[in-house]
Amino acid sequence: MKLNTASEVISFTKKLEEQSATFYKELSQRYVINEDIFLSFVKENKKNIIQVERAYYGVISDALEGCFAFNVDTDEYPLTTELSEKADYSEALERAIDIVKFYLDAAEQSKSLMADVPRAFKIIAKKRENNRKIALKSLLRKEE
Amino acid sequence: MAILEEPIKEVEKLKNYINGEWVESKSDEILDIVNPATQKVISKVPMSTADEVNEAITAAKEAYPEWRETTPLARVRCLFRLKELLEENFEQLSRVQTQEHGKTIDESRGETRRGIEMVEVATGIPSLMMGYNLEDIATGIDEYVIYQPLGAFGHIAPFNFPFMVPLWFSPFAMATGNTFVVKPSPRDPISQVKIAELVDEAGIPPGVYNVVHGGAEAASILIEHQDIKGITFVGSTKVGKDIYKKCGEVGKRVIAQTSAKNFMVVMPDADMAGTIPALMTSFFGNSGQRCLSGANLVIVGKDDSFYNKVLDAFVDTASKIRVGYGLDESIQMGPMQSIDGKERALGYIEKGIAEGGKLLLDGRKADIIGDYPDTCFVGPTIFSDIKPEMTIAREEIFGPVASVMRAKDLNEAIEIANRSNFGNANAIFTASGKSAREFQYRIETGNIGINIGIVAPMAFFPFSGMKDSFFGVLHGQGKDVIRFFTESKVVIQRWL
Repeated sequence: MKLNTASEVISFTKKLEEQSATFYKELSQRYVINEDIFLSFVKENKKNIIQVERAYYGVISDALEGCFAFNVDTDEYPLTTELSEKADYSEALERAIDIVKFYLDAAEQSKSLMADVPRAFKIIAKKRENNRKIALKSLLRKEE
Repeated sequence: MAILEEPIKEVEKLKNYINGEWVESKSDEILDIVNPATQKVISKVPMSTADEVNEAITAAKEAYPEWRETTPLARVRCLFRLKELLEENFEQLSRVQTQEHGKTIDESRGETRRGIEMVEVATGIPSLMMGYNLEDIATGIDEYVIYQPLGAFGHIAPFNFPFMVPLWFSPFAMATGNTFVVKPSPRDPISQVKIAELVDEAGIPPGVYNVVHGGAEAASILIEHQDIKGITFVGSTKVGKDIYKKCGEVGKRVIAQTSAKNFMVVMPDADMAGTIPALMTSFFGNSGQRCLSGANLVIVGKDDSFYNKVLDAFVDTASKIRVGYGLDESIQMGPMQSIDGKERALGYIEKGIAEGGKLLLDGRKADIIGDYPDTCFVGPTIFSDIKPEMTIAREEIFGPVASVMRAKDLNEAIEIANRSNFGNANAIFTASGKSAREFQYRIETGNIGINIGIVAPMAFFPFSGMKDSFFGVLHGQGKDVIRFFTESKVVIQRWL
């Protein structure tokens, strides 16, 4: 599905972060050994929603191109958060290394149109790339 | 995409807010407020009687002495509380605007944010209202200026920004120690009722802020009443000019922000990736119903390929605009606010065809997303081959109709724009600082955009305007509006 308006993109972001939080919550319960790490991701997901919504509601203005700032195709950013009972730990971790592409694309599309919103997207992308992915890869290496 | 929940679920008859009380009007004349997208009646508004309007003015007059003596700090504490309440109710207030006006939810949220920013700036009054002084203008003699409020002010609101426009004035009026009477547009008055509910909750004393519903008759009473010290108005040039004249005759202050015909000038070096979305917002945002909307697109240069490139991109992007009910988050353009507005736009489209314009995109039969009646919908409409002297290039349409014309160079583009009777908001899209400066220097308009399609000044800057787009001396917002709501006194003192 194509998303063009800022409102749609913010709702989609919220959905992504909520799905991600649900997924890590489940991982924290299934793999108690790394519960702290997974729960920190859950916390971060919630913080990301606040950060993006705050940026959007803070700058949305009739002078900005709110209805024309994006061209996001949601099919390009699938986030599979269901984990089968049989899934082993490695598989779960692989699944957990989720996408940063959505945030980078959304930031790029709106960079000169939506003021603080692209900056919020970039911050989240950076956190995921620099912190979350590294932490998950490190867990994977330990597993191997 | 799901439709966001509508906050107004039951049809109620709106009440006036006078002297801190919700008062039912005794008028028999009641109008329906219709959601322009769904055509459902969502509320009813009375055309208040003359006595009721007078009561609101009397309440404002009587509240003035005590409010004036309330310290600026105490006054702005009320506004801080109001700001918090507006934030708490942000989403509901935004959805109400979409329900009663038809604009998209992004546009409504943008309007809410802009309105709140006015309250935020007005909370700076303890600093902003300060006077100035000089010691020893002669030996032992000092001179200083103080700013004082004047009394009760009236505001006559337009339909196109039912939440924001009254807030261009009311927070500044109240912060400076004046009292206020708002007459919302009878087409979409619910937002002002919601604001009054929050004003009440914020503890702003009775009579300081009043809302009285009505039409032209109520407006006339406000304009002519001797206890109203000044009028702020946003609407058509015809009415604004008349208000200016009437207020001038009796020495009242007036800010009348009126009609527009805005030119968007695209230079050959413009960045198209940023320009096209900006043009979409400018021409088709709020369905073209704003005094800052782009109306005439002037593509500069002798190069046919550049002209065709801009025109093709403009038409192609506009043709994909999703038109429908603004509470659907995917919608990029809502309906016109009223049937009258739609008929007016359709009339101009007919004129454009009759005068020889080439209709490249026809919005007369809008392609509506969702199952909604087409009663108020007009799709994006684009004419090319428009000459500056044609009716649709000169008169305000107030709808999603774009007229495309060519100019051989910047000089000609500026000359075309300056021939307009209006001077509200013109913009240039260019990568050249030299072109931008020349445009800024020579263009006859109050608000200038450089790579910006909607030139909406922030709350701390004046909302300028000139020629037939503004009548008055001081503008709304910024330092201008603070000066408007205050009188200066000069004191020269010597102690013997």
